[in-house]
This record gives sequence, C-alpha cells and structure tokens, in this order.
Amino acid sequence: MSYYLYLVTSVGGRAGFGIAEDYRERNKHYASHSGDIVKFSYIYTGIRAKAKALERTIKRQYVDNIWMVDDWKTEWLVKDVSMAQLQAYVQNLIDSRHLGLELFAQDYDFTQGELDPLEYRVATV
Amino acid sequence: MAFKLKYEEVVRVPNPMTTLNPLKRTKGKTVSLQDRVDKLNKSSAWKKTVKKWTGEQKTFDLNRMPKFSMEKLGVLDIEELIQRELDDKHCSNKIANVDLFDPALLQPVICIKTSKGKFISIDAQHTAATVAALIDAGFMPGVTDWKEFEYAFWYIETDNLAYARKAFGILNGKGKKAQSQYQQLRTSVFVVRIDKDRTDPEDVEAERMVSIAEKHNCFPVEENSDLLKHPGTFSNVSIFKTLTPTELDVACEWHNKYFHYEGVHVNLFFIYQHLCREFGAAHMPITDKFKEELAALIQSLFGNLSQFAESCKEAYRLYTTKQHGYPGNWRDEAYACALVQLYQKFGGKEKIAPTLLDRFDDLVEFFDEDIVSLA
Repeated sequence: MSYYLYLVTSVGGRAGFGIAEDYRERNKHYASHSGDIVKFSYIYTGIRAKAKALERTIKRQYVDNIWMVDDWKTEWLVKDVSMAQLQAYVQNLIDSRHLGLELFAQDYDFTQGELDPLEYRVATV
Repeated sequence: MAFKLKYEEVVRVPNPMTTLNPLKRTKGKTVSLQDRVDKLNKSSAWKKTVKKWTGEQKTFDLNRMPKFSMEKLGVLDIEELIQRELDDKHCSNKIANVDLFDPALLQPVICIKTSKGKFISIDAQHTAATVAALIDAGFMPGVTDWKEFEYAFWYIETDNLAYARKAFGILNGKGKKAQSQYQQLRTSVFVVRIDKDRTDPEDVEAERMVSIAEKHNCFPVEENSDLLKHPGTFSNVSIFKTLTPTELDVACEWHNKYFHYEGVHVNLFFIYQHLCREFGAAHMPITDKFKEELAALIQSLFGNLSQFAESCKEAYRLYTTKQHGYPGNWRDEAYACALVQLYQKFGGKEKIAPTLLDRFDDLVEFFDEDIVSLA
C-alpha cells in the first residue's frame, strides 16, 4: 500500500509538511480548517516506513526552521523558508539518502479527486 | 536466494558536532551571572512566568529570605515526622566514606528557627549526624564535644511546622532540579579531562566510554538539547552506560560507517548489546558482511534506525496481541530478534547465534505488508 509525504502551502503562503495514507482526505481536512482550498504543492509516495522516516528527519534535522507556537513544534516552517527551499531540502534528502520516495503529484487539491499514478506520470513526462 | 538488499553509500559531510561537542573541552569556561540572566530574559518560559508575577502583583518579600549563622550542633533538633529515619549506611558509606570524605563538600544544616529559639532541622540531618559522630569518635583534632562545635546553619524564622514539612519535600525532590544522567556523565568526563584527576575509577570509565563514542563521531548530549539536530547525537545516557566498551565500540563504529548522517537512536545500543552478547556466548563472530547487510536492510526498508524502532514496536504489539489477546509489555531484545528474522527473510546467509532465533517466532510477519511483501 502506498503512503504519502506531502508539502503543503497554507492560504497565507506558509510552507508545511505531513504524511498521510489518504492524501485526498487529508487535503480536505486542511480545506475545512482553513476555509479555503489548500494546495499540496508536492506529494511524494513510497512505502510507509520510509515516508515516516523522512518526516522524522525533517522534524529532527530541520528543527531550526520549524514554526513554534509557544512551546509547540508545529508542522509548519518559519515564514522566511519558502516552499522552493523546503522542496529542495526534501528532494535532497530523498536523493542523497536513497529513501526511494517518488514525486507523485504537484499543486494538488481534493477537487482533483484521486489521482491515477500512471496517468500522473504520463502527464508530467 | 541471495540477500536481496544492498547498502548504498551516503556522501559524508563534516559533522558540526566535532567542534560543538560540549564534552570535548579540556579547559574550564567561566561565564558571568549576567550571561544566565540574559538567557532567562530571552526564554519564552521565563517571559510567561514574569507575566504571571505581574498579573498577580507578586513581589519579592525580603523578610522571607533565609538567614545564616554559626550555631552549636547541640542546639539542633530533628523533627522525626518531617525528616526521614536516619540512614546509617548513607552516613557510614557515603558521607563518611574513608576514601571520599572531604570537609569542603559538607552542606550547611537547613532548618527553621522557632520564636522560642529552637532550631529544627528540615534538611541535612545526615550531614549533621555524621559530623557530630565523627567528633564523638575523636576524628576532629582539638574538638572533643560535638555539642559545642559551631556549624553553618541556614534557617528561616517560623513556628509553622507544616511549612517545614513542605520545605523538606521541596528540598528532597519536588522543586529541586535533579542531576540528569547526562550531567553526571559530564561531571565525570570533566573531572578527567579538565581537572586531570583520574583517582575515581567510575570517572575514568565514564570518560573512556565517551572517548569510544567520540572516536566514531557519536556524542552524548543533554535531553532536549538543541544539539540533537546534528548527526551522531544521542541523549539516552542511562542505556549508553549499560554497554561494555566492546559493545559500544561495535555499535558506534557501525553507526558511523553506515548512518553517519543520522542521530543515534537508542535501539542501536540495545541491538548491538544483544548481538554481541548472544554471538559472544555462541563463540561466533559478527562478520563485516553481516553488519553491512544489516545496514542495507535498515536503509532499504526503514530509512533509519529510528523508523525501524517504531515499526518494530508496532509489529511487536500486533504479534503479542495475536499471541495473548492483548498487547504485551515491550521487551528490548525484540529489536535484535526482529532484525535477524528480517535478515533471514530477505535471504541473509551469515550465521546467526541460535539464541537470537528461538525467540518471538514469526514476529517478522507482523511488520507492514508493504515491507514483508518485498522479500
């Protein structure tokens, strides 16, 4: 079963990240909380353990860029880290550490429904 | 079937911990109190506290400050319902230990002074009793009567025994910041490295263990330290201290060779402790090929040891629930047993100590389907 690591852009433009088994349902939750369409700028897919390992690494090694709300470490980044920087960081982790996650979708929101991995790959070639 | 997984090199980058390592100092460093005040003033926790003080219009009551005086030991009373029973072994083997006793390390007696002038001890009865008994035994030249010996008293003036009772609780636990395992380790390491004092075997051993870890770019740090973001760091000092030097050397060498880009998860220590002990008992070597294939397995299936730990605990939960109908208590040896089961499932052919293979039958089958199906 595929598992997903997504990079999310908030309505206000803040970059964030998370993991999910069902990316469409998760995207709906973001929309319902923020009252607007929220984009998953990038979605990566792979086996669950590795998606979780990657998220764990971001939380531990990228900690200086994590947005703190009081003492609560959120899954959002401080404002001066852009989505492009986060994506470059994540892509570098995947490549350099041989994590085997693949880019599955870009600029996704739930209104696009479930994506067919094959269709998506064809569409982006 | 040959072993299916292959370790892929990860480019090594300089680890900032080689310069940031707080235990690497060979000279002491003194900072001013101003430095600490500045740190507090920047702390969000401190800012919250200041806000509460302001909100409650609380101010610092100077009349409540403790007072100091030199008093004769004979005036001290012990309130037995406040202080613990006298621990004779603590006095004999710790405070008055013939190899460790040092008058410079004695603490003042902490007590209350009642309106009738009575001093009632709320802390350090063991120190006072030990000093008095040492005088009684004739070990203090020129002093024969301990009751007349003047000792440092730190007291507050009150008749409220309930206050004394609470104060004792605070001084002996609640409210007192206990020394962490890391702080104790740091003290031992600095005694050897900075003070060049090698008289205490425990300090020497602790420094040796830290040196072994550092040799392989592994670094103990304080719990919740900002340094935990750097590769090679770990904060579980209590487990680190249970390893033998050989086990630690093998574990840290493996981490540094294959996972130099990751923090050290505590299951590294559990895994190599069990592998070394079980292979050692069977007089079997842990081969380089086996170690590399274990690294390949962790890297290919889990990404890192931290994730292996989480997956392993979940598999164990499912396994024990199937076996017994409820999730069993976690057992640390399950890390090593699960790892060798996965190793064999993926075609590993190196010889494994039999005692690692006869526990937790089929635990491997309870890992995620997307992992097991790759075998």
